[in-house]
Amino acid sequence: MTALALELRGITKQFAGTVAVRDLSLDVPRGAVYGLLGPNGAGKTTTIRMILNVIAPDSGSITVLGAPHTSPGLLDRLGYLPEERGLYKKMQVRRLLRFLAELKGVNAKTANRRIDEWLERLSLRSAEKDWGNAKVDELSRGMQQKVQFIGTLLHEPDVVILDEPFSGLDPINAQALKDTVVELKRRDKTIVFSTHLMDNAERLCDSVCIIARGGKVVDGTVADVKSAHHRRSVALSLAGAPTDATAAVLADRTLVDKMDDNNRYFEIELATGGDPQRLLQRLVHAGADVQRFELIQPSLHQIFLDRVGARGVEEGMSGHG
Amino acid sequence: MAKLWTVIKREFLERVRTKWFIIVTIFGPIFFGVIMVLPAYLSVRSMKDAKVGDIRILDATGIDLGDRVATRLGGGPMGDLSTTQVVIVAPEKLAAAESLATRDVMDRVKRGYLVLDSLTVQEQKASYAGRNASSINEMQVIEQALRSAILGQRLEREGLDPQRVEKLTRVKVSMNAERITDKGRGGSGIGSAIFGFLIAFLLYMMIVLYGQNILRGVLEEKTTRVAEVIVSSVSTDILLAGKVIGVGAVGLLQQVVWLLSAVLFYHFRAPIFTKLGIPPSVEIPLPQVPPMLIAALVLFFILGYGLYAALFAAVGAMVSSQEDANQAAQPVVMLLVFSIIFAQPVMMNPTSRLAEIASWIPFSAPVIMPIRMSSISIPWYELAATITGVAVTMAICVWLSARIYRVGLLMYGKRPSMRELARWIKQA
Repeated sequence: MTALALELRGITKQFAGTVAVRDLSLDVPRGAVYGLLGPNGAGKTTTIRMILNVIAPDSGSITVLGAPHTSPGLLDRLGYLPEERGLYKKMQVRRLLRFLAELKGVNAKTANRRIDEWLERLSLRSAEKDWGNAKVDELSRGMQQKVQFIGTLLHEPDVVILDEPFSGLDPINAQALKDTVVELKRRDKTIVFSTHLMDNAERLCDSVCIIARGGKVVDGTVADVKSAHHRRSVALSLAGAPTDATAAVLADRTLVDKMDDNNRYFEIELATGGDPQRLLQRLVHAGADVQRFELIQPSLHQIFLDRVGARGVEEGMSGHG
Repeated sequence: MAKLWTVIKREFLERVRTKWFIIVTIFGPIFFGVIMVLPAYLSVRSMKDAKVGDIRILDATGIDLGDRVATRLGGGPMGDLSTTQVVIVAPEKLAAAESLATRDVMDRVKRGYLVLDSLTVQEQKASYAGRNASSINEMQVIEQALRSAILGQRLEREGLDPQRVEKLTRVKVSMNAERITDKGRGGSGIGSAIFGFLIAFLLYMMIVLYGQNILRGVLEEKTTRVAEVIVSSVSTDILLAGKVIGVGAVGLLQQVVWLLSAVLFYHFRAPIFTKLGIPPSVEIPLPQVPPMLIAALVLFFILGYGLYAALFAAVGAMVSSQEDANQAAQPVVMLLVFSIIFAQPVMMNPTSRLAEIASWIPFSAPVIMPIRMSSISIPWYELAATITGVAVTMAICVWLSARIYRVGLLMYGKRPSMRELARWIKQA
């Protein structure tokens, strides 16, 4: 039993001459909440589809829960929520969910029990109204999204893969999804989700991988990614306008790389090898009246912008997939 | 295998549960029954209403032939003669009498008039004009009456007693037509031709209805994006197989219900006919179908359906919208329409070269071969070669479709060109 839920080694996939994924290697630890981050068109969905054996990589190997991803029966241990959601419109909710569960090898009796539990839990079933007996197209969009979550989780998968799970969700469903992810993690399930919304990723993920244009930019635990990001920032507030001595310290290129000067408030990016403690000593020594000196960890959003570049994001915004 | 069964079950149950399926399955036989019984019922009714006798006979023969015809139209000497009006006309006044009769027919005094003159006696020629002149049944009744009247008149002239003549000429014949093949006598000729046509038409309908149904099903999975969820659980091959088998089972169920109701109808035809007032002697010819033929028919049925189902599924996977689907499906539909266009000429002339060739081409064989098989006997090796041809073609189509399906199911956007399609097949 390996400690990795997913292990991708040198995955490459081309479509009609364009490279969708280039030599991508990933390690997703068991029991982790793992974020696959990148702009639209970065190759997230293609990567996920290869993990699920929906499409085959041109080269490279994928190991899921310690076995090659093409092993029979392995798909039954994965749950997948695709980015583009949809259900059979004319089917009764309960029958549809039972169908999805049976496709994952759950027997009808167990499926029925779990369906009732889930419907109640996501308030689709109460004493006065049981939406399970309605047809899918009688449900509101929000309710259909709930039904789709249930379909993803009915077979109690060991690894749950959510492709852009937050896109198109109303705030209530988004909260329900977050609660569910936390709950799944508590039960030692592995959750992989792709997103281009860094805030969500920062709050939920243990580990992340940022990919852009089909290739990996950076990966690791959130803490590692942040500390490895070479730009460390300092927020500095002074009581009065900086004196000449103070300004000289701030202009020292061995300490400060970049600075956003707001007269009394400064956002400082330390130079490579620049020690924040030494900067503080020098400032105090120069007679600066320091009101606030705080080491700021860069947000994933900041790292993302720095590493992928604003252009990548812009491209992603207009592109699709 | 359990998953294949799950897919088959869903495809089958979701279709059987629809209102349309229930309506078509139950009302189909009633509809066909009405279509079959109605003409017989109507013709019997119109005959029973004695409208045929409601004519004027212009008799210029001078030998009372008109009275004899009227007697026979009225159902013998004791029959009701009140409706048939016999007018004795001198030959030179015939033209005037005819124009008067024409006006009377136009004024709906009589339904028509029959002209008998010296030619009728010498050359057995007569003429009839009337509103019902296009009814083959009614004209046959009048012709019969005339024939019998001339015969009676001749026999009497030869010196036979009129009563004996009446007895002798009143002959009712019923003929049973039977077909002889290389294997000997077997069933009614017309019956088996109609049977063959029926089977061919059923197969054609099944392919058109359920083939398109498969196309719509695939398209629905694509447009609603359910496909992506499902292929993360089962392979596209299983999904495709389950769909084809499940939808095929729906069609089969429908046909079994229809056939059963036909058998039931045949079994209880006597009371139904009596209720409708059709004499039970009106026989529906039932062909004798040898078990070999049934086996071959079932094979053609399955192979033909599988062949076209695979093609329709591939079309569904290729496109992303209903409009595109209609266009892309056209070549497949054309193949089908070709088969059914040949059906009638083949039925008329099952030994022709056209019939032979059409029954060998794998795409039309499932529809055409059953027609030929049921009207003439086909050598076993020809049959085996044709079935093999259809089976091989089906295997190729299924293989190609499975590949197109695998790639196309998650592709959106514009319809692929032939070259892109070839690449899909290669890369899958």
